[in-house]
Amino acid sequence: MNVVELVEVTKVYELPRGSVKALDNVTASIEAGEFISVMGPSGSGKTTFLNIIGCLDTPTEGTVEVGGENINGLDDEALTKIRRDKIGFVFQQFNLIATLTALENIEYPMILKGVNGHEEKSKGLVSSVGLDEELGENKPNELSGGEQQRVAIARALANDPDIILADEPTGNLDSKTSRDIMQLLKETNERGKTIIIVTHDPQVASYTKRTFRLVDGRIDSDGVFL
Amino acid sequence: MIFFEFAKRNLARHKFRSVLAILGIVIGVLAITALGILGNSVQLAVSEQLCMIGNELVVYPYGEEAISEDNFEKIEKVAEAIPVQSMGDKATLNGESTFVMVYGMRSEDIPKLLEKEAGQFLKHGSLNCMVGSRLADNYELRVGERAALQSQKPRIVGILAERGVGFDINPDNAIIVSDKMFESMYNTTGYNSVIVKVEKIDDVEGAKEEIEARLNKKEEVVMVMELKMIVEGIKGLFNTISIFLLGIGAISLVVAGVSILNVMMMSTVERTKEIGVMRAIGTSKREILRMFLFESLILGVIGGVIGAILGFGAGFLVDVLILHEASYLFAPSSILYVFVGIAFGVGTSVLSGLYPAWRASKLKPIEALRYE
Repeated sequence: MNVVELVEVTKVYELPRGSVKALDNVTASIEAGEFISVMGPSGSGKTTFLNIIGCLDTPTEGTVEVGGENINGLDDEALTKIRRDKIGFVFQQFNLIATLTALENIEYPMILKGVNGHEEKSKGLVSSVGLDEELGENKPNELSGGEQQRVAIARALANDPDIILADEPTGNLDSKTSRDIMQLLKETNERGKTIIIVTHDPQVASYTKRTFRLVDGRIDSDGVFL
Repeated sequence: MIFFEFAKRNLARHKFRSVLAILGIVIGVLAITALGILGNSVQLAVSEQLCMIGNELVVYPYGEEAISEDNFEKIEKVAEAIPVQSMGDKATLNGESTFVMVYGMRSEDIPKLLEKEAGQFLKHGSLNCMVGSRLADNYELRVGERAALQSQKPRIVGILAERGVGFDINPDNAIIVSDKMFESMYNTTGYNSVIVKVEKIDDVEGAKEEIEARLNKKEEVVMVMELKMIVEGIKGLFNTISIFLLGIGAISLVVAGVSILNVMMMSTVERTKEIGVMRAIGTSKREILRMFLFESLILGVIGGVIGAILGFGAGFLVDVLILHEASYLFAPSSILYVFVGIAFGVGTSVLSGLYPAWRASKLKPIEALRYE
């Protein structure tokens, strides 16, 4: 089954200096359980590609299906619900909520969804991403970058989404920590999660099984990372 | 309630700023509550001191001439009427000479209009007198003593109860004598005023018109004053003063509102990125709106309650210092201002938070995420 289906997707941004085509007639299918990297130079449309799959942005043209649901024409509320229930986000800057503890950050998406037993589940997630349980009570600014990113991955997994989207997840980490985080994402994929990573780093791409290379808003190549 | 918790923690994150915002509301609510209580207390004090009898009319002669016996009889046909003669005069009380008002009244009319505190009322044709309460207090007069008036030395047989400032007669600083005694002392005829009592307050207008129709046929002979109008005029004046005082309080609340608006705007701008993250991972617009509204609600409730308590304290001080009387403070109409203050504080705060909260909820997730 395909968890992501893009058919002839074009995204045009209207900017003061004219319109910019961020995505140009992109067609792609991603099956459940795939581990994908998206590479390409700056401005090639990688982030737009990810934002559209993540229901943060909508296409100018073309159809988009995420988790079996056509998102064309959905309103903000419906898109928000898809993001909450079907997608997990991992950001370059971790983006944990500063006023919440690590555990509360993980619980947060479950609270939004109204999941029962979120406290127990978040504790389980803490250990599944390889964090010490005591760290759960810490605020994000009391954690190292690697620890924060582990919390972020646990948060992304909280509502058992169809897809994990990661935008440069190792961009703010040293190389040792980057390897640990990639290892964690790899294990997460092996447990059956579909993961899509946007990256500049060939090292990161080498963990994935399939790589899209974007150039000027088009998919230039699609295959195993070499 | 996760969004309430967020609001609490975000306010705690910027304690100083939150405290300043609360302070603004405290001052505004304090002003509204204290000034409201003050205005209300003044109003209560005045209505207590004024002898406000709404169902009375007072008929005065139009020109120099007093109201004649004939005309009095005409008035009497309309409703129960009490003729009053009055004269300012010098009296000697307990050896001290002073200027007093002397009223001459029919003995049967006195109990209809006045109450006594000690002694008894005047008998028909009595050559004695009664004195007002203030006069009795000031000159330490007792029943049985004599006052000196003109060449007479009437015995004081009764002391009147305090009545307050009235529009018909002001007996507190006066000596009351019988009509016979008055006439013999001053050698006058006619009446200086006639007090008309109607059964119901609604009858006042009709009685006024009828008296005017009967007496002012050819020329203006009498002037008819209705106490109802005067009473209402005075009440209206004090209402205006109350509203003016509240207006001053409201201005300080508006200032407080602007400061909350400012704090909340800063807060939404600072947290743009966080809002982006929250929206990205599935927080709806409504939930963001709720979170920010909770923040302004918390500021408003804390500021409102503190301000109302302080305002009540300030109202107490003002009442004691200016009016020398704290009982007005606990009148329901005064207590009401405590709640009015809180309501205005919370209202202002939430209203000021509305726009920033709305703006925060409208942020596009991808743009907010990109914000540094």
